[in-house]
Amino acid sequence: MRRRRPAPPALVAVAVVGMAFVALPLAGLLARAPWGRAAELVASGAVLTALRLSLVVSSAAAVLALVLGLPIAWLLARADFPGRAVVRALVLLPVVLPPVVGGVGLLAALGRRGLVGAALEGMGIRLAFTTAGAVLAATFVSLPLVVLAAEAGLRALDPRLEDAAATLGASPWYTLRRVTLPLLRPQVGAGLVLAWARALGEFGATITFAGNLRGRTQTLPLAVYELLQTDPDGAIAVSLVLVGLSVGVLVALRGRWLALG
Amino acid sequence: MSRDLRLGPIAAAFAGVALVSCAAPGAPPASAGRTLVVFAAASLAGPFDQIARDFERQQPGLSVQLGFGPSNGLATQILEGAPVDVFASASPRPMDAVAAGPGVSGRADMATNALVVVAPADDPGAVESLADLARPGLRLVVAAEGVPAGDYARQVLDAAGIRPAAEANVVSNEVDVRGVLQKVLAGEADAGLVYRTDVTPAVASRLAVVEVPEAHRAVAVYPIGVVGGAPEPELARAFVAHVLGPGQAALRAAGLRPPP
Repeated sequence: MRRRRPAPPALVAVAVVGMAFVALPLAGLLARAPWGRAAELVASGAVLTALRLSLVVSSAAAVLALVLGLPIAWLLARADFPGRAVVRALVLLPVVLPPVVGGVGLLAALGRRGLVGAALEGMGIRLAFTTAGAVLAATFVSLPLVVLAAEAGLRALDPRLEDAAATLGASPWYTLRRVTLPLLRPQVGAGLVLAWARALGEFGATITFAGNLRGRTQTLPLAVYELLQTDPDGAIAVSLVLVGLSVGVLVALRGRWLALG
Repeated sequence: MSRDLRLGPIAAAFAGVALVSCAAPGAPPASAGRTLVVFAAASLAGPFDQIARDFERQQPGLSVQLGFGPSNGLATQILEGAPVDVFASASPRPMDAVAAGPGVSGRADMATNALVVVAPADDPGAVESLADLARPGLRLVVAAEGVPAGDYARQVLDAAGIRPAAEANVVSNEVDVRGVLQKVLAGEADAGLVYRTDVTPAVASRLAVVEVPEAHRAVAVYPIGVVGGAPEPELARAFVAHVLGPGQAALRAAGLRPPP
C-alpha cells in the first residue's frame, strides 16, 4: 500500500475545475432531457434496434482491435526494425484523423471501387453499407487505444521474468502465452475497455463507410443524430442511454480489468 | 522510469503556439467595421459566397460572415441563441421554427430547387429513369426522413407510385444531402436523390443525371428572412433585398429557379 499524502490545495482546485468542465455538459443534457417521454422513446423499436446493434458492433470491434492490436504492440515494444517511429505514428493516425476522413479512406480502400474492395466485390464480398462495415469502421478508430495500452504495458514489464522462462526451456510462443500475456492483463483489459467505449460512440467513420440503415448499420450514435433532425429533445434522451450504458460498464469493470481503482 | 519526461517545455511550446495563433491575423478584428452574420442552407454555399462578396463591395467596411449547414441544424443553433442577422433555409419548416422562436421579419421566398436522380458516371445500376429506382437489387441512397431533401425524395417516390419498392432498395438514409452525393460520387451507391444544385461543375463530370418528370416533381421552396433580435437589422434587411434583387442572377447560375 502506498501511503496517502495530503493533496496540495492548488491541485485540488484545478482538478475540481477540470471535473466540472467534463460534468457540466452532462448536467446540461440531464436538465434538458424530456424525462416524461424518455421511457416511451427508449422503448421505441428504432432505439432498441439501434441499441442492440451498437452492442454487437462495439463488442465485435473491441475484440477485433485486440486481436490486431496486440501483435502490433508487441512488435513496437520488442522488435527492432527500421522505421519503427513511422509505423507507430501510422498506427496512431486514427486518433487524430477526423473520423469522417477515416470513413472516406475506408471507402477508398474497401469500397467497391476501392484498392482492395474491387477485388473483394469480385469475390462477392461487400463491406460498405453492411454491419461488417460498421464493425470495421469502429475497429479502425479504436485500434490505436489497444496498441497504446498494450505497448505501454509491455515496456513496463520486467524483462527478467521472460528471460527466466526462456532459460527454463520455454519456447518464445509458450513464454508469450503463459508469462507475458498474463502479466499484461491489466493493460490489455484497459485497452479493450477503452476500445469498446470508443467504438460505442463512433459516428463519423461509420456513417461515411457503412451508411445509416436501421437494423443494419444504424448504431445508437447514428440514431441519435438522425433523431436530432426531427426531435432534438428526444435525441438527448436517447443519447443518455448511451451515456448510462458506458458509464455503467466502465464503473462495473473498474478494478476487475483496469490496473487502477 | 529511466527517461525523464520534461513536460514543462512541451506544455510551454503548446501554449506558445496557441497564443501566437490567436494573435495572428486571420479573422479581421471586430472593430475594423461592421459584421453581418448570415446562416444559409448548405445547398446555397456557392451562390451565397458570390452574393456576399457583391454585397460587401456595395457596403464599404462591411464584412459578411457566412455559416452553412443543414437548414434544421442552423435553425437549432439560432434557437439556441446564435447571434444571426439573416437566415436562408432550404425548406419552410426550419424557417417556421425560427419564426416561432426569436421571430423572423421580412420573410420572402427567394428561390426553388428540385430533386434529380444522380448515378455514378459509368452508371453501374443502369439508371435511366425515375422508375428504375424501384428495380430490385438497386443500391439507392436518400436523405433521412425529417431532413428536407429526404422528405422531398419520399414525396417524389410517392408521386411516382414506387415508394415501397424504392424504399426497399435504400441502403442508407444519410443525415444530409451532401452524404447522399458523397456515396454516389464514391461509386458505392447505384443512385441517389439530390438537389439539382448539388450537381456543381466540380462534380458534374463524375455523375449521370436523370431528371424527375414534371408530374412527380417535389418543389423545394427556399425562404429567407431577418432573424428577430438581429444585431444589424438594417443591414440585414438590405442584404435580404439584395438577394431578392440583383442576387437572383447568382442563384439562377447555381441552378435554382425563381420563387413561385
